[in-house]
Parts: sequence; C-alpha cells; structure tokens
Amino acid sequence: MPELRKDPVLGRWIIIAKERGKRPTDFIVEHSVSKGGFCPLCPGNEKTTPPEVLSYGDINHQPNTPGWKLRVVPNKYPALVIEGDLDKEGEGLYDKMNGIGAHEVIIESPNHDEAFSDLPQGRMLDVFMAFRDRIVDLGRDPRFKYVMVFKNFGKAAGASLEHSHSQLVALPIVPGRIVSEMSGSQSYYKYKERCVFCDIIHQEMKTDVRVVCQNDHFITLAPYAPRSPFEMWVLPKRHASSYTSQDHSSFQALAAIFSESMRRLNACIPNVPYNFVLHSSPLRSEPLDHYHWHVEIMPKLTQIAGFEWGSGFYINPTPPEDAAKFLKEAKV
Amino acid sequence: MKKILLVDDEESIHLLYREELEEEGYVVHSALSGEEALEKLSIILPDLVILDINMPGMNGIDVLRRMKEINQNLPVILSSAYQEFKQDLASWASDDYIVKSSNLDELKSAVRKHLS
Repeated sequence: MPELRKDPVLGRWIIIAKERGKRPTDFIVEHSVSKGGFCPLCPGNEKTTPPEVLSYGDINHQPNTPGWKLRVVPNKYPALVIEGDLDKEGEGLYDKMNGIGAHEVIIESPNHDEAFSDLPQGRMLDVFMAFRDRIVDLGRDPRFKYVMVFKNFGKAAGASLEHSHSQLVALPIVPGRIVSEMSGSQSYYKYKERCVFCDIIHQEMKTDVRVVCQNDHFITLAPYAPRSPFEMWVLPKRHASSYTSQDHSSFQALAAIFSESMRRLNACIPNVPYNFVLHSSPLRSEPLDHYHWHVEIMPKLTQIAGFEWGSGFYINPTPPEDAAKFLKEAKV
Repeated sequence: MKKILLVDDEESIHLLYREELEEEGYVVHSALSGEEALEKLSIILPDLVILDINMPGMNGIDVLRRMKEINQNLPVILSSAYQEFKQDLASWASDDYIVKSSNLDELKSAVRKHLS
C-alpha cells in the first residue's frame, strides 16, 4: 500500500508509492550529449562574459585571462539588475519593488567536459569557498536579504550549457521556501527547545536506515519524506544556521562528503540530472538556535504534473530507505 | 557598405528589418533557417549577424555556437520574441540580446554599436 509521509520541518506531505519500488536501473536517464561549438565559459573566451568578480588560479594569473581554475562572473543578461534602489510601494493590496538583485555564475572548472561530480576534492573545496566568498561580499549590500546558491546539472534539471557551472542570485527578499523552513523549525523549537534538524541527525544516526555516508563534520542522508527518488540532504553535524560561519576544516569536510555523495549518486544512476540548493539563514542574521543550514540534492527523475502542482504532494516511487541502501552500497 | 546577415524563419521580420536597416545604409542578406545561414556565412562574409532563436530545424543558440566557432570576432545579435532564452547561458556567446518589438530603435542602436 502507498504511504503518506510528512516532512517534519515544512509539514509537506509526500506519497511513497512503495509497490512501484523503483531501483536505480529502473530509471531512464537521457544522456546529455555535448552540443559542441563555441562555449562562452571556456578559457580563452573570457571576453564573452562580463568581467569576473572572483577567480582562483595561479598566483601570476591576470583577471579575465586564461589560467584560472574557477571563475565567478555576473550574468550577461540578468533578470534582476544590480544598480538602483528598491523603491518599495503598495498598489492597492498588492506590493511591488524594483527588480534589484545580483545574478552570478560560478564556472567550476576550466575544462569544458569535467563534471562537478568528477572534480577532485580540492577543486570541489574551491567551489564551496567561492560560494562563501560571494555570499559574504554580497551580504555587505544592505539591499539584499538572501543569497540563493544552486546548481542545475543536465537538460532535464534546467542546465542549458554543458560546461560545469553553478549559480547564485542575491535577492531583496527572503524566498518563501526559506521563510517556511525557518517558521517550521521555529515552531518545533518553541515546542521542544531543540533544533529539528539536529533531532533528525541524531535519530538518523541512531536508526541508520537512511544514512548514505558521513564524516566527522557532516552527514548525508535520504530524508524521511523525499520529493524525489534518491534525494539527499547534506547537513553539518554541529549546529550552525549560517553556511558562511563554517571554519576551513568544515569546508574541507563538506567537499569530502559532497564528493562522496555525488560519486555514490552517479554510481547508482550514471549522468543523472539533478539540482542542488544551499539552504542557509538570511544575510546578516544572528546565529539562530532553531535553524540549521544544509544542502538539498534533488535528482530529476520524475515529472511534476497536475496532481503535484495542484496538491503540493509529490509522488516518489523509491522509498528513501531503499535509496539510502543503494547509495550506501554503491562502489565508489 | 557594411553587410548584415538576417536569420529568421518569419518573412514578415525580414520585410520589416530590411527596410529599416537599408535606410540606415546597410546591405541586408536574408536566411530563413539556421542551416541556410551557416551555408551563406562563408559566401556573404557578413560584418554582423542578427539571429532569431526559435526556428524550426537548428535553433538560433546552436547556430550562434557554430558561428562563433568559425569566427569568434563576428558580432552576433540575438533577436527573439522571448525574454526567457536569456536564461540560457549559451546565449552569452552573442554580443547582444534584443527582445523583438515593433520599435526597432534598440536593434538599430545595437547594430550601430557593433559596426562602428
């Protein structure tokens, strides 16, 4: 019989279609084929992008020239603009403001065909450090309240260019999803005086049925009520509400666990399209006892259709206990 | 006189753009598909390309990437009725992105900028 499961943070219900019990080999993944042709993100083509706001490379590396190993550039055709004031105003019962924001692209590798999941740990660490550096920098702008960091991999997950990249958008508002997460975790904290995410980590470590992998600082688990088959959450074991508050050794451990998690996912379902999103407290907020930063990795293996849009329920054909077992046992 | 290759599957766009651009003193060559544009590229040797995105057959983004592979210095202006293709990072290979409108001032200004 199918099972309805409730996410303890958001109160969101999902349907685990247990009888379908999909295994990794049951999913058909469309292999993304490189279209070839000119790539605006490749070394040598730096002049086709706006000037970089951050780059890591050799010590003698000159900005906007080849020799970089990671590069961050503003969006050439941004949906939100960086200059101007918010000019918030009401329009009857409606609210509006100017479309102020920053949209940047993190080019994770100079190699066109190098996938994020194949990056050596040190280079993955660069990516996570770049996220931190840019969040800290954009956080100095009082107009911005939140920086959303995400990655789309594969056509089905919304990536239009095969060259490995992630993106960030600095926003003048805190996105609704984060507001709901903060409010859900605050309600739990008010009732139990404990962080819901810390409780999830403790329980999952104890039962060990949904844990994918862990190290001293981090744990990757298949959440109890996942929206997508093989969904994974990467959480710091030590309570922290802000991504940027981590020390260097934590970022190294994050790169290690992320690298392992992505290799496990890729071993189960090669070339699987996915999105990952960093969830952290809003910019400039004090450390929060009830909120816990984390990264959600969502493989794109099912279609969102009318039922999901209408009900807000997701139907997941792979129980997370099965997904965790496959991921844990994957040869990496 | 500077030569422009206009690539769009809609003939009405050719009529409208050609008239306005010829008035500005440019020679306008037409291609009704991406494939035709790539064939004409080496024959016409345009100074600038105006390229639609949503076309049957090869789409404008793929044509753009092929054109830039052949000649990175050739200015290409993407011209689309859709804003959302701006989110396609492959569109960054272009030198400008103009949303189609009945007022061609923005397009003409971009053409002037890249041909000056």
